[in-house]
Amino acid sequence: MRLAPLIGIEVVAFLLIIAETYVFFNVVVPLGPIPHNLLEYTGYGLLKFLLIVGLGVVWFLVVLEMTRLYTRSKLSPSPRLSS
Amino acid sequence: MTLGLADAGLLLLSFFIPLLVIILGMPGYLAALRRSGRVVDDVHKRPPTKVPSPAGPMLFIGALAGEMVAYLAFGSLIPLALMGAAGVAFAVGIADDVFVLGGWTKPLLLLLAAAPLVLLVRFQKDLYTPVLTFPILGDTAPHFIIYTLLVFISFPIVANAFNMMDSFNGQLSWFALLTSVALAFGITLHAVFTAGFSLAHLAAALPLVAITLGFLVFNRYPSKAFDGDSGSLMLGAMFAGMAITGGVEVAAMIAIVPAILNSFYTLSSVRGFVERRRMASRPTYLGEDGNLYATTDSSAPTTLVRLILLAGPQSERDLVKSIIILVAASCLLSAVISLLTWVA
Repeated sequence: MRLAPLIGIEVVAFLLIIAETYVFFNVVVPLGPIPHNLLEYTGYGLLKFLLIVGLGVVWFLVVLEMTRLYTRSKLSPSPRLSS
Repeated sequence: MTLGLADAGLLLLSFFIPLLVIILGMPGYLAALRRSGRVVDDVHKRPPTKVPSPAGPMLFIGALAGEMVAYLAFGSLIPLALMGAAGVAFAVGIADDVFVLGGWTKPLLLLLAAAPLVLLVRFQKDLYTPVLTFPILGDTAPHFIIYTLLVFISFPIVANAFNMMDSFNGQLSWFALLTSVALAFGITLHAVFTAGFSLAHLAAALPLVAITLGFLVFNRYPSKAFDGDSGSLMLGAMFAGMAITGGVEVAAMIAIVPAILNSFYTLSSVRGFVERRRMASRPTYLGEDGNLYATTDSSAPTTLVRLILLAGPQSERDLVKSIIILVAASCLLSAVISLLTWVA
């Protein structure tokens, strides 16, 4: 079935969205005690920011890599599309 | 929760009144658009046909009618919040239909669509709750500030995702119908299996299902009406509002995964918000045989449709069927998530 690989990408994207949203709300947001000095506070803020960016980057890279593999597999056997 | 006969009747009214407004009002409205010369080329036909556009104002009237019924029936502020969100997105869409807004202008203006929800939650605490409910794992802790920020961000993201799914005959109407049905299913389970969850959440959600069902009659292949940006942005804003007020955010994210992927592909390949009418190259082209092909131009944006067509050319009707299959798969996953969340 021609849509099977795209449905596969869809399912992986869906699983990552659920897992990462859960990690975001249950791990990253409540991370650590509320610090009282400015240096620790900034450090926690930076750590949270990096973790959030990290979650986004993981989703981005996984979906992009799967799409790249799909595109390459579809383009290579077809001389009409590989001009 | 027990559903009385009166409640069932009011829910049916919230569904059938907007449906009738669209079914009965759209033919006259489209005739008026034709008479005033408001038609656009259906570029995926050979030769191009003329189709009345935008149907967004009629969809907005249908949405207002449905939400007003829900408000009068249940006395909740939820329908008013959804009306406000729909109104802001509709206004942005009409401005785009008339003036063509820049790539960044639309998402920035759409942030305002969240304002009615965030303002009205001060007057009705159960308008939405600042938690996400996951299948099996349960609720997150309440995070009011983070959740409020996500409410603001979700409107431009979802409305633009709907807008980007609006390229072929029936594509948006099928997409909006299937995803809103999946969400209404989740909200129904939420209402049935959660003590104290008001039926007003469901009543406010039903008009979206009704107007997309009514619009499908006119938008399916071969289209007799195009919604324009005023329609697609408004439908997206209503969907976002429905997910937030219905407490089914996770199921909503899953239902629109094809649109999220489509937006992600487009934004990552053109590197930012670029108005589609200003893109240098199109992702697909219409062949001499009347079929659609994926373009091989490396500067063209990658879209979900282009990925589908990489497996081989398709007629517009078959292409939309392929998109419907992908959307139906994500809606099925969304329904499973709703079952696991509210029933299991």
